[in-house]
Amino acid sequence: MNYPVWEPPMLGGGLVIGIIAILHVFVSHFAVGGGLFLPITERKAYREKNAALLDYVKSHSKFFVLVVLVFGAVSGVGIWWSIGLVNPEATATLIHVFVWGWAIEWVFFIVEIAAAFIYYYGWDRLDPKTHLMVGWIYFASAWLSLFVINGILAFMLTPGRWIESPSFWTAFFNPSMLPSCVVRTAVSVALAGVYGLVTASTLRDIALRTEVVRYAAKWVLVGTLIIPLAGVWYISTLPPMAREISMGAAPAVTIFAGLSIFFSALVVTFTYFGPYQHPRYFNLTFAFVIAVLALSTTGVTEWVREAVRKPYIIYNYMYANTLRVADLSRVRQQGVLESARFVRHHQVDPLKPLESGREVFRVQCASCHTVDGYNSIRFAVKGWSSDMIEYQLLHLNELKGFMPPFVGTDAERQALRDWLLSLNPQPAPREPGSPGVQAETPAASPGASKP
Amino acid sequence: MNPVIPAPVPIPLPAPAWLVQLLLVFTFILHLVPMNLLVGGAVILSISSYLGRRHTHHRELARRATRAMPPVVAFTITLGVAPLLFLQLLYGQLFYTSSVLMAWSWLAIVLMVMLAYYGIYWFTMQQEELGPRAFWVILLTALLLLYVMKTFVENISLMQQPQDFYARFLAGAVGNYLGSNSPLVFARLTHFFLAALAVAGLGLAILARSWKAEAPELAVWAHRYGLRWFQAGTGLQFLVGLWFLFSLPAEIRGIFLGGDRLATALLVVAVVLAVLAMAAARKSLAASSVAILGTVSLMAVIRHLVRIAYLRPYFDPHTLPVEGQWTVFAIFAVLLVAGIATVGWMLFHFFHPARAV
Repeated sequence: MNYPVWEPPMLGGGLVIGIIAILHVFVSHFAVGGGLFLPITERKAYREKNAALLDYVKSHSKFFVLVVLVFGAVSGVGIWWSIGLVNPEATATLIHVFVWGWAIEWVFFIVEIAAAFIYYYGWDRLDPKTHLMVGWIYFASAWLSLFVINGILAFMLTPGRWIESPSFWTAFFNPSMLPSCVVRTAVSVALAGVYGLVTASTLRDIALRTEVVRYAAKWVLVGTLIIPLAGVWYISTLPPMAREISMGAAPAVTIFAGLSIFFSALVVTFTYFGPYQHPRYFNLTFAFVIAVLALSTTGVTEWVREAVRKPYIIYNYMYANTLRVADLSRVRQQGVLESARFVRHHQVDPLKPLESGREVFRVQCASCHTVDGYNSIRFAVKGWSSDMIEYQLLHLNELKGFMPPFVGTDAERQALRDWLLSLNPQPAPREPGSPGVQAETPAASPGASKP
Repeated sequence: MNPVIPAPVPIPLPAPAWLVQLLLVFTFILHLVPMNLLVGGAVILSISSYLGRRHTHHRELARRATRAMPPVVAFTITLGVAPLLFLQLLYGQLFYTSSVLMAWSWLAIVLMVMLAYYGIYWFTMQQEELGPRAFWVILLTALLLLYVMKTFVENISLMQQPQDFYARFLAGAVGNYLGSNSPLVFARLTHFFLAALAVAGLGLAILARSWKAEAPELAVWAHRYGLRWFQAGTGLQFLVGLWFLFSLPAEIRGIFLGGDRLATALLVVAVVLAVLAMAAARKSLAASSVAILGTVSLMAVIRHLVRIAYLRPYFDPHTLPVEGQWTVFAIFAVLLVAGIATVGWMLFHFFHPARAV
């Protein structure tokens, strides 16, 4: 409510972040897992004196650099860009709490990038031992980078003791930090295998392809075996409401949580019966199918992780619409238009109540809802009468646990109600006495029932 | 009317404002070096790629010099993260507002940088295969980078003029603002652009020396050619710098013209160092590089003073409450030193492979 609100049409801010974030997660976990895959496979090639395998690792490292250094690094910056645009208040809060954490992560990022280049350009310049060492330095810095970012991300869902005793340490070592870190590390290992399958499937030498395909498949299987175990631990640390939301309270989230398990199971099944059991017949198309399934798993899982945090963006501290829990009663008294800075009018304009209602929507609801696109509000209130909308707004957080309470004056609530009602033109009133006639229309309720 | 500015986050700063400012300016200088090499390098490579259709020297230059570009892009991005982090910590309420007002073009930067990055790789890895089309790849890359540069200049300019926020908000849909395109922005952009050409020219002259063994004739030619870019860029900067200085509002310009002794002295020293860098270029690249690094560093400080002067009526970060997170800061400082040492160790082995054990 502090900042002007950007409303990307159709997508909404949430989906803008989501699209960038899901692609980034898919690549950044590979950046970590791939960093383990490269030196381990390189060492295997040296030990077995397998020159063909070493050539594979070299070509895989080129693919790795092109995917990770460019797409991974830039999309990571892209997440930062998008959260600053969509939710500046929460971004600013995270930066205040964690700036030195981010600065530490930046050091790891620099070492990671430098190591990746030296590893890639160093194949013919460095002796095997030093080259391998550079590979391990890459992996260590990439994993430490994950460790730091994971702590910040976990903080948003489980800030734990930070709420009562705010400090960097209570924020970083929050309840879900450790299990989440194990899950992400396991995901990294699995994704290293998935990307390994993609490059291995293009190898011409059949014997080598069979060997590497089976080897990469093992990475996928090991990673995906750890994920559910660590996942149960992770879920046990979540706030009760987050668990409820994902297990029935919010059907869409439950469906996505189910899909996450379903897609993971498909990845395991396809990998086991495909490249693991029959590596000879594995090809690029099959590799892409597994990669798409893995991307789908990443997508729905990240979506669920974001969804279960509702109604908050920082649990128990800041609502998804950037209202701080501590400011609730002040804004309720003052009014949302009065509290917001970038609005055209600080009071409901009696001449243009619908415009005011739209403005209330923008500052209070647009961080999650669009009018016509993703999570469309027009669709959500379709068929609702004025009374129904009024009732929902009065009890928003009780009726829908994943939504913040409506805050604002009576006049603001009524302006919002009338605007919501105006979104779906009401059917023309039928003859009096016929069933289903709504007595109240927007025009009939100018919004002055209470002072 | 009072300017509409969002309130700062109600959480104390994790370090005193002076320390954050110091880190902001210092890490910005670190970013400026590869950023100049990148933008100027992409332009110089575009020209050489075009001229290389007829001139062998240009063709060879484009082929060899571009190999240095992928790490330059990577470090432009990586080293750009820290100053932006510290900027958001100190001036978040201004920076986010200006960013949100121009959300589309600001977000487009991410895509542009990614395309430019792949453009650099494409040009570097497949120049031979691309043939004459290589020129279009690198030209498009250079244009993308110039777009990024312009958007940065627009955003950082708007950020320090919070008195305009509310009018911009009223003027149109939030996110659609494309920048003021004011003469000040263009003066600033030209100033940055020339600096990029000059620094990249100097970088080319230094790089060319490493070609001596393999292509001695080309090395001598490219060394001179790079220096010409450096001297032309720096020479023109005296004019453009004046243009930039005189397009600043009088009260801000004044601090560099005697109004503030420190600011005036910094500007004078920066200009003198630039003159020395030009004079020394033909004799000693090392001396010239040190001098121009001095100019770039002082200019970064001067730029920060300009920001402070712009914001003086509205916001002073020193008024924010502070609660130092010193333990975490110490860990950061130690890791920074360890990180630099690790990178140094890897670079040492990379450039001295014979001595590697």
